[in-house]
Amino acid sequence: MSNFTMLLSLQKIAGLLSLAGALLIVAVVIFLLKSATISEDKTTAKEKVYKLRSRYIWSIIIVAVVLLAYSFRSLPYSLMKAKADTEVSVVAYQWGWKMEKGIYNGKLDDFKGSNEIELPVNKSIKFIVTSIDVNHNFAIYNSDGVLVAQTQAMPQHKNNLQYRFKEKGEYKIFCLEYCGTAHDFMVGTIHIN
Amino acid sequence: MIQIDSTEIKKQKKLALTWAITFLILFPVLITLGLLMRLRQGEITETGPSEFFSYMTLHGLGMAGILFTFAFAALWYLNSTRYVRLNLKFGWFLYFLILIGVVGLLYGTLIGKFGPGWYMLYPLPFKGTFWPAWATKVSVISLIILGVAWLLGILHMIYALAKQYGGLTNLLGWQYLGKKENITEIPSVVLITTISLIPGVFALIIGAAMLIMYLLQSFEPSLAFDPLMMKNMVMFFGHTLVNITMYCAVGWVYALLPEFTHREWKVNKAVVYSWNASFFFILFAYLHHLYMDFVQPTSLQYLGQVVSYSSAIPATGITMFGVIAQVYHAKMKWSIIPLMFLFGMAGWAIGGFAAVVDSTIALNSSLHNTLWVPAHFHTYMLMGVVLFIFGFLFYLFSGKDKEEKDGLGKAGFWIFVLGSYGFLLMFYLGGLNSVPRRYSNYSGLEIDHVRETGAHLAQCAALFVGVLLVGLILMYLSLFCKLIQQKVSTKESNS
Ligand code: HEM
Ligand SMILES: [Cu+2]
Repeated sequence: MSNFTMLLSLQKIAGLLSLAGALLIVAVVIFLLKSATISEDKTTAKEKVYKLRSRYIWSIIIVAVVLLAYSFRSLPYSLMKAKADTEVSVVAYQWGWKMEKGIYNGKLDDFKGSNEIELPVNKSIKFIVTSIDVNHNFAIYNSDGVLVAQTQAMPQHKNNLQYRFKEKGEYKIFCLEYCGTAHDFMVGTIHIN
Repeated sequence: MIQIDSTEIKKQKKLALTWAITFLILFPVLITLGLLMRLRQGEITETGPSEFFSYMTLHGLGMAGILFTFAFAALWYLNSTRYVRLNLKFGWFLYFLILIGVVGLLYGTLIGKFGPGWYMLYPLPFKGTFWPAWATKVSVISLIILGVAWLLGILHMIYALAKQYGGLTNLLGWQYLGKKENITEIPSVVLITTISLIPGVFALIIGAAMLIMYLLQSFEPSLAFDPLMMKNMVMFFGHTLVNITMYCAVGWVYALLPEFTHREWKVNKAVVYSWNASFFFILFAYLHHLYMDFVQPTSLQYLGQVVSYSSAIPATGITMFGVIAQVYHAKMKWSIIPLMFLFGMAGWAIGGFAAVVDSTIALNSSLHNTLWVPAHFHTYMLMGVVLFIFGFLFYLFSGKDKEEKDGLGKAGFWIFVLGSYGFLLMFYLGGLNSVPRRYSNYSGLEIDHVRETGAHLAQCAALFVGVLLVGLILMYLSLFCKLIQQKVSTKESNS
């Protein structure tokens, strides 16, 4: 995916694909609305459709296999255990974020972190994310407001998210898992320099 | 095949009409909650977070609940008036049991402000809540009542069908796969009822187990379960139930569309293979809800995507092509019922396509828990299942002539479709602009672009909800007229 994402954000790829799909479906509906009022012998009409159907099924199987293989090439899971240049421990709580450099293995109650952190540009950063109370979701937005990476913050578990910040500036953290009253006000900041 | 006498049919119809009217009362109430949410997100009103989130919870649970319940009731009606005897008293018992569950849920959410969202991710209902513990208890007990009612209903229906058609394997259509001749043929609704509802049994058992764990914890707060296991359970339960609601609805389209195209739509080998494959896919597709939980075993993540992609093959290749084979050059009239079925298929396909996009792990990183998620599932619920349901309602409410001219209903239909797609488009655009889902308002988003886009889209969405409601009112008027006519004509024929 990476060579595409240079040109288009993943959101744009998703949007364009879905738009194409929706237009195709609308075209089929219009075609059917028109063609249904014409009369033809039952069996010949059905035969035509079935012929098209078998072609369709074979092509969709091939397309699905190709897309699966292609989209499996770079997934976040392979980086769970991989080494990174810098590690950051993250603890989510109702309702805020605590972040601190380094790998933290102590009690979560004693974890002292802040909702702001400075990190280097163009280095691989591993966020080790967990929660002290309920499920949250650690989502990184760039300064243009594009969601660029995320992972769930689940109590009793640690999700490792690797990300390389390519531009200097301010990134924001929002919570993307509903977690109660102030879910929509859980903000953190990452300064990249 | 058995003959079902006309008094039994009449009685079953009364039950079906009662379900229908209950649905028609609750549906606009739940839409209103949706409208209130969009108005708050658009900064037009100032609903507080506890109201917002309890509305959201009731809206989600309520919609998923009434759609599944009605889909079940519609299949009950079709099966019991055509193919098999179903116990009418038991049907009424289920109706009242479900009503109790609904009232309990309304009480827990509106009075108690129970608000952990419709999938109430563990341990949210027990930590830092803005609602009292009793609200959790009342709501969880109400959900258990609903689950038990659905489970009993499903088991009764499948048991009766299995007895009628000589065993479960016949219901699954396996007799079509062998070389034997003279097999027991089954109608397509029967096959689809079975394939949809058996995963429902699994889902409800897991769901009940989970709800009982919740109940235990609400009485004994020191208990603690593994959040990852609980998330797997709730997603299996919730996803499966919502998924089979769609398949149940497709069941009556198979049964009713042929009455308008005058072409048979029978079970054959391809249909059996396709639906048995769907059976398998239904059970594993839920895994795509856990992509962003990197601790979930990676093999399950791959399985989630493979299954999500695969489920599109039988759905489009067999069912949607089945619809094409039904209508193509069929010299039919586009009266309101087949029109709703055709558009329902389109809504299913459009929402399904957006779902497949989202079930691509590489894309899910940038769409998960944004408004893209409500965008796609509202598409196939609102423009899929709800249209199938209205198609069925128009069928149920109209008299002998199912193809009569209905200007009012059709005008309502077009306005409803227009308003709905406008409303949905705002969700999609929100998702593409990274606007998060389940935010009571966007003022905390400290990036101007996301905050402003979120609020503007919500305002436009609220406007489109207004349009959709106008369409809905016209459809209600048309249904009401039909019901009155039906009452008058049965009175005449009786006297
Ligand atoms: C017809 C008009 C409808 C409107 C105006 C509406 C509106 C909304 C809104 C505004 C949300 C919250 C979105 C967010 O910010 O996360 C929502 C969530 C939801 N809606 Fe609807 N909706 C409608 C129909 C439906 C239907 C037909 C269903 C059927 C299943 C449905 C099921 C849900 C569910 C399950 C949620 C998620 C609740 C949660 O996150 O806990 N809605 N809806
Ligand atoms: Cu949170």
